[in-house]
Amino acid sequence: MSLSKRKKILVYGAGAIGRGYLPWVFPPSEFEYYYVERNDGLREMLEHAKQFTTWKTVKKNGENLYETLVVPITECFAPGEEKSLIQDIDVVVVAVGPRNVLSLTNSLKGTTMPIICCENDSSVPILLQSVIDNPNIVFAVPDVITSNTASEEMKKADPLSIITEDGICYIDDHISKIGGNATYISKDELVKQWTAKLYLHNTPHCIAAYLGSLLGVQYVHEAMDVPRAREIIAGAMGEMQGVLLKKFKIDEQFIDWYADKELERFSNKLLFDPVSRVAREPFRKLAPSERLLGAAQLCLSTGVYPQSIMLGIMAAFFYSNQHDPDLNIQYLVRSLAAADFLRIVMQLSPDQALHQLLLEQWESNRVILKSIHG
Amino acid sequence: MDDYTQKLEVAIRAAVAAGNILHKHAGDAFHLTRIRKESFRDVVTEADTYAEKKIIEMIRQYDNSPIVSEEAGVVGELDEEKSYWVVDPLDGTVNYAHHMPFYAVSIAYMEQGVPVVGVIYNPALNELFYGAKGLGVYKNHNKIATIDRKPEDALFAVSFSGKKYDSDARLLEFVKFKEINDKTMGCLRTGSAALNLAYLAEGRLGGCVGRFNKIWDVAAGFIIAELAGAKVNHRVDKNDRFLLSYTATVPQSEGLLKEIVVL
Repeated sequence: MSLSKRKKILVYGAGAIGRGYLPWVFPPSEFEYYYVERNDGLREMLEHAKQFTTWKTVKKNGENLYETLVVPITECFAPGEEKSLIQDIDVVVVAVGPRNVLSLTNSLKGTTMPIICCENDSSVPILLQSVIDNPNIVFAVPDVITSNTASEEMKKADPLSIITEDGICYIDDHISKIGGNATYISKDELVKQWTAKLYLHNTPHCIAAYLGSLLGVQYVHEAMDVPRAREIIAGAMGEMQGVLLKKFKIDEQFIDWYADKELERFSNKLLFDPVSRVAREPFRKLAPSERLLGAAQLCLSTGVYPQSIMLGIMAAFFYSNQHDPDLNIQYLVRSLAAADFLRIVMQLSPDQALHQLLLEQWESNRVILKSIHG
Repeated sequence: MDDYTQKLEVAIRAAVAAGNILHKHAGDAFHLTRIRKESFRDVVTEADTYAEKKIIEMIRQYDNSPIVSEEAGVVGELDEEKSYWVVDPLDGTVNYAHHMPFYAVSIAYMEQGVPVVGVIYNPALNELFYGAKGLGVYKNHNKIATIDRKPEDALFAVSFSGKKYDSDARLLEFVKFKEINDKTMGCLRTGSAALNLAYLAEGRLGGCVGRFNKIWDVAAGFIIAELAGAKVNHRVDKNDRFLLSYTATVPQSEGLLKEIVVL
């Protein structure tokens, strides 16, 4: 395709998915890239360089290797600056984090182009639809882990380097096909992929990060190298496999394949997947229907005992990162008695089974977590 | 910048422990004692006393700064140019005694007379407001901020104290109450100055006004409201250094309250 005929793609969020993964799905040979990024430092770097490098880990002959792609950028806007250009855009991708989605509605109101939501929350397209009145908004499941950083060597070559895995981007086939290397599937298939991602990826992945934080390591693969941590992560995976089988009636072969694939990708040493990225905003992950408390509740409702997930939940309670937006979790867990923390902060009432189990095992689980170093 | 993390954690711990006592005894809260002669509404419950004792005990485990508390008075050697705690074990006692779920424990840590840490806990509604200079302001696990609405779109609250009761002054207060009520979405008398300020911080109220409130009713609320974006103005009574009047508002309502309320 000649450069002049490329489609214009506007990506909200130049983070892990937006910068690292999307250019592999919508290649720069077919798409002209525009970004909106609220981080001033990153935006200025992108505007100045007008390009960045994304590194993809691919498996060849049983070995993980890198492929590289240099992505030219036409412009990187501060939020709101893109409004003047919005009518010329062919496709929008939203990858800003569910908490920030509503900040985009002002610019997107009244538009008709396809909007793809690559967010870790399937309610985001419905929310956006209700506010901006565009029927072409769909959910997508990027079946991939993308780091928001890279090794020192890569950053030396290009400070804007970022690493992603090789993986399929599943998009609801409700929208017209916009090209690229995405896989367009029916809503039912998308729900299956999302359910698998939500429980077989999200739950064990964030548990790996919270254990990694307790271990004091920088990357998720380093947590996977610690036998006791790996055992807990695999245990959580097993508990979620049990739930998917019983509750969602998804076929066992698919579940087993997915679970093995996930444990392998968490261990990918080339990915440099930061613990601080995956563990970010623990309160969101601890919301009642989310990947930690929600997963444990699902286990209990289907007769699966969530022993490893409860350890993951405890690890999240004790997540300590001075730069995290949810750093107040530290003040609360340090100052409140366990029962008060569960009731006031986690909104788990004392008559709920999960409240009682977490409370009963509070001390013993803390001892286990303190000893995961081996 | 000073790090108030430890003070904040002490205040959260003590406020919730005291709140648990209040909540536990809420069922038998009709046993009131009138301890002061200033007003027949100036009541105390046994739970106040237990809760206050708990707070003082818990603060003392970590910190030796003097404590100014509603029931116990001044504990320790108070030098207002230095640091001290201000404690109200039960703000909204009349509500509490009548099983209205609108009461709170309020704890502030002051430096040179200015609150730098504040915690307000309403155990009946499971609402924990807390904040400290440099550490942000929250309700339970969420960050909070005021919402800057026009007065006609916002709800307001006033807190007239039972202290310093004077029927002419009270009549004037109700004239002011009417003025605020008529120029806004409405004006409430909730019975808890601490929760008024917390609700302003959370964006539920557009502003609140207090006349002759005690420092322990409002110190924690002042810092919480300010950290959330409210503008707080106050005047200390010339005869009682612990008695004060104030307005606390979002920017769009500051003009209205200035016009109506003379501090």
